[in-house]
Amino acid sequence: MIEQYSGISPKGDLILLQKLGERLKDKTFLHINSTREGGGVAEILQRMLPLIKELGVNVRWEIIEGDKRFFDITKRIHNALQGSPEKISDDMWDYHLEVNRKNSQKLNFEADAVFIHDPQPAPLINFKKGGKWLWRCHIDLSNPIKDVCGYLMQYCEKFDSAIFSVARFTRAMPVDEFIIPPSIDPMSEKNKTLPDDEVRKIMERLKIPLDRPVILQISRFDRFKDPIGVVNAYRMVKKYNDCVLVLAGSPASDDPEGEAVLNEVREYAKEDPDIYIDAAAIQR
Amino acid sequence: MAEIKAFEFKQCVNILKSTGRKAGNLHDLRDAISKISDKSIIHHTYHYFLKVHVFEYTNDFAHWTGESLEERALSEHLSNIDPYGFENVKDLRNELLNVIDNYLKQFPEPRAAMHDDEFYFNETITLIFHANVRAGNLAEFLLGIRHVDPASIYYHFYEARARLKNRADDFSTWIEDSLKKDGLAERIRAIDPFMHNIEGIRGHIVMAVEEEVKNDMELIR
Repeated sequence: MIEQYSGISPKGDLILLQKLGERLKDKTFLHINSTREGGGVAEILQRMLPLIKELGVNVRWEIIEGDKRFFDITKRIHNALQGSPEKISDDMWDYHLEVNRKNSQKLNFEADAVFIHDPQPAPLINFKKGGKWLWRCHIDLSNPIKDVCGYLMQYCEKFDSAIFSVARFTRAMPVDEFIIPPSIDPMSEKNKTLPDDEVRKIMERLKIPLDRPVILQISRFDRFKDPIGVVNAYRMVKKYNDCVLVLAGSPASDDPEGEAVLNEVREYAKEDPDIYIDAAAIQR
Repeated sequence: MAEIKAFEFKQCVNILKSTGRKAGNLHDLRDAISKISDKSIIHHTYHYFLKVHVFEYTNDFAHWTGESLEERALSEHLSNIDPYGFENVKDLRNELLNVIDNYLKQFPEPRAAMHDDEFYFNETITLIFHANVRAGNLAEFLLGIRHVDPASIYYHFYEARARLKNRADDFSTWIEDSLKKDGLAERIRAIDPFMHNIEGIRGHIVMAVEEEVKNDMELIR
């Protein structure tokens, strides 16, 4: 797999990865998040784990399980951390911890380094047994609802270190904070250049016309991705430039709001035959 | 004839760390510069050249005061600071503070940055490793310098100035010490590190070395 990146990634990065692989070949890594399908974290891990394994590092991926109530709470926490006004009651925080406690009894934490992704599994730190634990935050924390962020930080500050996407998302924390920008994998299914013939076949199957320019948004149906805003932008463009809009997304099992947002967008766009909405386009 | 010591191309990768400290105006910036770690001062000055930098500026402090605070005169003064002209980080830090203090004497109430445009103090952990390219003569060096990543040019051309006692770059030092080509070494030393980006530096070195190789070949003929 690594050789696919030759000519795309800087030569030095590939050399460094191999050297790091040699140094870490006796170490074990464990990644834990809350879904295997849908959303950015699952997409990163689906690609990253085979690459790390190829470098000779022993790496595993586990997910935590939860019911609808748990994911409703974690979605509220997620929204609050990104600045949306949400109240998280003591009961909700207790349930967040309780579900993580149950997961901790089932999961095997045996690893030299444990990467916990985002807030859903953050309380697992309370059940740490050994190794170095890192909290990988994929969320925009630049302007969070303070009390929600403050509560979550009680967990995050127990980690050995934290990783954020940009400096603006970092906090004043008593642990090492690394900044690793998000990156696009040019070799993943989603980002590969498609041959014209395949594009034509897909567009025919989805009944999307090819006679006009296409505005395309690919994302989960999430209010922070602002699909309604995209429809509004399309309507501004459409006034003077005939075009079609395609909103293509995939559902994530840890996102209970996806269906509601999808319905809102469908409702908002229903009068317009040039708006094509496909909630599972990426999976087919 | 003594064997020529090969030039081993190395390169570096910087892993960014947050200090958790930020500044929203010039007074905050001054206060943080006076207290922040040496590693952070190094990151915001020397490492500026590893980024896609704006030629007007020579460090992050100048960049931020120019672009975010729009204190252009101050950013010019901060850009005039040559980080390689100091013996240690303490002297460099003092010079940054002197420049800001002088500006604040004249303009004691500078404007603040917009929300979300604050200055974030970071540090770096630098990993240095072999780029797996070795040059045993000038022709091989020419191929190597064309081939290596920008991070390798940075390591040998910029970072070397803080590392080597002679405050020069690794390329000219090797060309002078191992190849005994003082003229070419002098020509590479004359490339202004502040007037080009890394690809510009690569282009100038390639041009100088290519001419030298051509001249050597003509002598053989």
